[in-house]
Amino acid sequence: MSTLSPSPGGIRAGRRRPLEGVVLLLLGAAGVVSLLVTAGIVFTLFNEGSGFWREVSVVGFFTGTDWFPVNDQFGVLPLLAASLQIAAIAALVAIPVGLGSAIYLSEYAPERLRRVVKPILELLAGMPTIVLGYFALESITPAFQNVGVIESGRIYSMLSAGVVVGLLITPTIASLSEDALRAVPRSMREGAFGLGATRRVVSTRIVLPAALSGVMASIVLAISRAVGETMAVTLAAGVQPNLTADPRDPAQSITAVIVQVSKGEAVRGSTIYESIFAIGAVLFVVTLLINLVAVALVRRYRTIYQ
Amino acid sequence: MTTGSAELPVAATAHRPLAKKRGRPGDAVFHGLLLTALGIALAALAWLFISILSNGLGNLSWDFITSRPSSNPARAGFISALKGTLVLMFYTVLVAIPVGFAAALYLEKFASRTRDDLEAKLRRRERRIAERRAAGAGGPGMAFAQVRLAWSRVWVRVGPPVNHVLDVNISNLAAVPSIIYGLLGLALFVAIMGFSKSLLAGGLTLGVLVLPIIIISAREAVRAVPVSIEQGAMALGATRLQAVMRQVFPAALPGMLTGSILALSRAIGETAPLIVVGGVTYATREPSLNPLEADAQPLFAMPLQIYSWADRPQQAFLDLAATGIIVLIASLIVMNLLAIWLRNRYTRRW
Repeated sequence: MSTLSPSPGGIRAGRRRPLEGVVLLLLGAAGVVSLLVTAGIVFTLFNEGSGFWREVSVVGFFTGTDWFPVNDQFGVLPLLAASLQIAAIAALVAIPVGLGSAIYLSEYAPERLRRVVKPILELLAGMPTIVLGYFALESITPAFQNVGVIESGRIYSMLSAGVVVGLLITPTIASLSEDALRAVPRSMREGAFGLGATRRVVSTRIVLPAALSGVMASIVLAISRAVGETMAVTLAAGVQPNLTADPRDPAQSITAVIVQVSKGEAVRGSTIYESIFAIGAVLFVVTLLINLVAVALVRRYRTIYQ
Repeated sequence: MTTGSAELPVAATAHRPLAKKRGRPGDAVFHGLLLTALGIALAALAWLFISILSNGLGNLSWDFITSRPSSNPARAGFISALKGTLVLMFYTVLVAIPVGFAAALYLEKFASRTRDDLEAKLRRRERRIAERRAAGAGGPGMAFAQVRLAWSRVWVRVGPPVNHVLDVNISNLAAVPSIIYGLLGLALFVAIMGFSKSLLAGGLTLGVLVLPIIIISAREAVRAVPVSIEQGAMALGATRLQAVMRQVFPAALPGMLTGSILALSRAIGETAPLIVVGGVTYATREPSLNPLEADAQPLFAMPLQIYSWADRPQQAFLDLAATGIIVLIASLIVMNLLAIWLRNRYTRRW
């Protein structure tokens, strides 16, 4: 568009009307609103939670192993550990399933199958997370109980939460990775086939490495989504803070604490009210870092093909 | 080389499709693993649907849709949640669509200029001022032109990095967890601006939540309109703004609306931000559909009702949650079909 705009010396676009400046200013203001939203998020997380840091020491917050607000114990470790553990289980489910589906759809599946299956997978991505939470409670936990992984009578567990969040982020990995795999030029595949490589070798040695930046970015973005996931985790993993390495145990994630406190009508200015902004800030920083890693990965490993 | 019988097999192999190579066992195993992965994903989705339909269809009736919430599972219904969602969506649209569309037009058509563009514009302004000065022009018009020239000089340096920051910022915002938007809504609309924990506060929060998604999809729609449309308008004497508002915007509108409906279908199922802003899990009265009364209405909507049912131990309420989910998913499907119809009906191929 730039090089083709009217040449300076010749025909000139029409003269500005008086109100045009105002309209342009309004459009520009809308463009800046998104910056204000970011500023607003950062400001509110740190401003509404500022009182919290006067009550609770930073060291105690980051090293404390108990989250027990009634006793004024505000240690973020059990919550952070639960969030990360659930995200790790989710990744263990979603990376093989998502990446396998992506490779199959991009390298093996006939075009017609691909065109049917991909929207179906994206349906799963658009599913409200409350639906997945219900699914975990009603179907996944009982299934784990039936095969004896989780003892019967135990309703909440990180394992079901992780599995259901894994299902939730599988389409993110499948869809974005498939886009990346398909963007690898056909000539590279044909060159390898011509040298006698089988489809498996072409997929794993040629296409996957070439699309690595996009594939990695899709995985990292999916993990970031898993860390910030709320309703499925709250419903499936329970609301009991618990620092444990056993994934079958219930444990409360950062997001579940925010939900629980919000339901309890905490008074503005109380330490418990301020604590959700403090742990919200932790969540914001963690997901932001993960997202920045995704951006960096894309930039670092991007290969451009002609 | 000897001719004769040896040539025939060579020619025969050349006709064999290249893909039919003799595979090693690993190839079949790999193929099987990939199929298993896809199978797991599809089976999980099927299981999800079967589980919801088998538990929820039993309660689905016109009575369920038109009844109010009740502590008796046999009489509980969805009408309050439905009305709450409608009012929420009104405010979500009110916030997100105008700001999102304007931001998309600005970012795509006015902000995304390169340094070269800005420098050319600066030089054009300098030349014009010099011409007018030579012609003896003066007064407020000249002063205004000088101010614009000064602005151009600043923007040539500041503009490109600012636009880059805007770009990065929007894609980052789209990846912020939705519960963080809930905290923003609670602090901004309830604590600072003093709205009650109401449908109004919830709707505004969801509006902010979908704004980045709407901006991203609307920008794509604007980008899809060929530059020649705009250039044609400008060649006929339109200003750049006229060309954008009267030619580009209408041409991009169907695409922008399609993206917006998809973004709204995400907002409609959001639960966590509503709980954080102060959503209730039991509505004592049916909310009014009048948006002007939204500040006085308790924050209650479909996903909150589903959450409240799913969070109870009794199986009867869990089944009601499944029924609610069927209604929620049905509305999502309707919205998606609407978006697809809109895209197929109005989007022009250039």
